[in-house]
Amino acid sequence: MDGRVLTFRLAGINNQNFLMRDEETGSFWQQISGLAISGPLSGKQLTSIHWDELSFKTYRDENQEGGVLLPVAGYEKQYAGKDWELKMKKAPSVVDTKKTGIAARELMIGVELNGASRAYGYQKIQAAKLIQDRLGGEAIMLVLGLDGVSIRGFLAGLPDEKTVPDFYRKEELGGGLTIDSVTGGEWNFQGCAVSGRLAGKCLAPLRIVKDYWFDWQLYHPQSSVFRR
Amino acid sequence: MGKKNKLGLWIFASALCITALACFAVPMYFIRPFRAQTAQELSLALYVRQVGPILAILCGIASIFVAWRLRCRPATVLCILTLVFAAINQVNVFEIMFHPDLKPGFARAGEAKLDGDDMVLAVKLGNEAHAYPIRMLAYHHIVNDQVGGVAIVGTY
Repeated sequence: MDGRVLTFRLAGINNQNFLMRDEETGSFWQQISGLAISGPLSGKQLTSIHWDELSFKTYRDENQEGGVLLPVAGYEKQYAGKDWELKMKKAPSVVDTKKTGIAARELMIGVELNGASRAYGYQKIQAAKLIQDRLGGEAIMLVLGLDGVSIRGFLAGLPDEKTVPDFYRKEELGGGLTIDSVTGGEWNFQGCAVSGRLAGKCLAPLRIVKDYWFDWQLYHPQSSVFRR
Repeated sequence: MGKKNKLGLWIFASALCITALACFAVPMYFIRPFRAQTAQELSLALYVRQVGPILAILCGIASIFVAWRLRCRPATVLCILTLVFAAINQVNVFEIMFHPDLKPGFARAGEAKLDGDDMVLAVKLGNEAHAYPIRMLAYHHIVNDQVGGVAIVGTY
C-alpha cells in the first residue's frame, strides 16, 4: 500500500465476512472487498490479483514446480474436513436472502466486469460445463475443468480477431476442452489455444469469485443472477 | 483521607475497571460470528478495538495509583481486576480461535501430501505459483506471502 508492505492479521467479523488488521497502521480491512473500513488507512483499497480456485490435481498438472502451503505443525487437526463445504451449507446466515429465492449459502461464481456484476450458480456451471454470456458489454465464458470442480472465467473474444466466436465443449478433444466457431481451434482449461491458427495464444482471464450467495449479494447489491 | 474523597476514589476505581472491561467486551459483543452488524455498531466496535488496548493500560496504571491511595483489600481486588481486563485487551481473541500461520512454508506440488480432489486457491505471478489448500485457509483465514517477488495476502 503506497510503497509499504503491510502484514495482515485476523481481527474480527462483519456480517460473516472477516476483518483483517494490518500490523503497521492498525487499520481494519474487509476481506471480500480489500477496502480499509476503519483506522488511519480508512478508504484505501488493496489491489486485487488474479487467482484460481482449483482442485489440487489440476494445480499440480499445471504447476509441477509450484509451491503448496504446508500445514502448521500441531494444528493439522484443526483443519477443515473434506466435507467442510457441505457442513458450512447448514450453518446459519445473518443475511436474509428469501426475497431473492436463492438459499443464503448457495454457492455462486460471482463476476464483476466494467461496473456490472452477475452471479452464476456453481452447480449450474457444473451441469452446463460451459456458459457463455455478456457482462459489462463484453462476451465472457465460464468453463468447468476436466476434474468437474475447478472453474475458470475468460473474456470470450479471440486474440487479434474482431468476431466473437461461440465456444463448444468437446470432452474428447486432444489437449483441449473447448473449440471455437471462428478458427475451429481447440482451447485448453488455461484458456490457451492448443491447435488452429491461434495455437499458443491465450484468452484474457476473467476474475471470478466463488462465494456464498448471501455474501456476494451483501457486497454486490446491484448484482444480477444468471437464470438461463 | 476524607469520606468524600474516599467515595470519589471508589467511584473512580470502579469506573476504571468498567472502562477496561468495556474496551474488551464492546467489540467482542458486536463483532462476533453469526450476529448481524449494523454500520454504526461496526464503526463503534472497531473504534473501541483501536483505542481499547491503550485506554485499558491507562486504566490499569490509574487503578494502581487509586489502590495505593485506598490501601485496603477490596481496592486491591478491584485494581487486580482492572489489570486483568487491561491484559485481556492486549490479546487477539480471533487468533486464539484461529491460530495464525506467521511463517508459511511450501512444498513442491509434485511432492505435496494432498489428495487430488482437495481444493486450493492458486496464485501465479511471473514464473512463480503458490497454492493454498482451502482446508488450511478455512482455519488460518490469512496467509501473508510473497509470490514472484510481490507481497500478497491470501485470504479465505
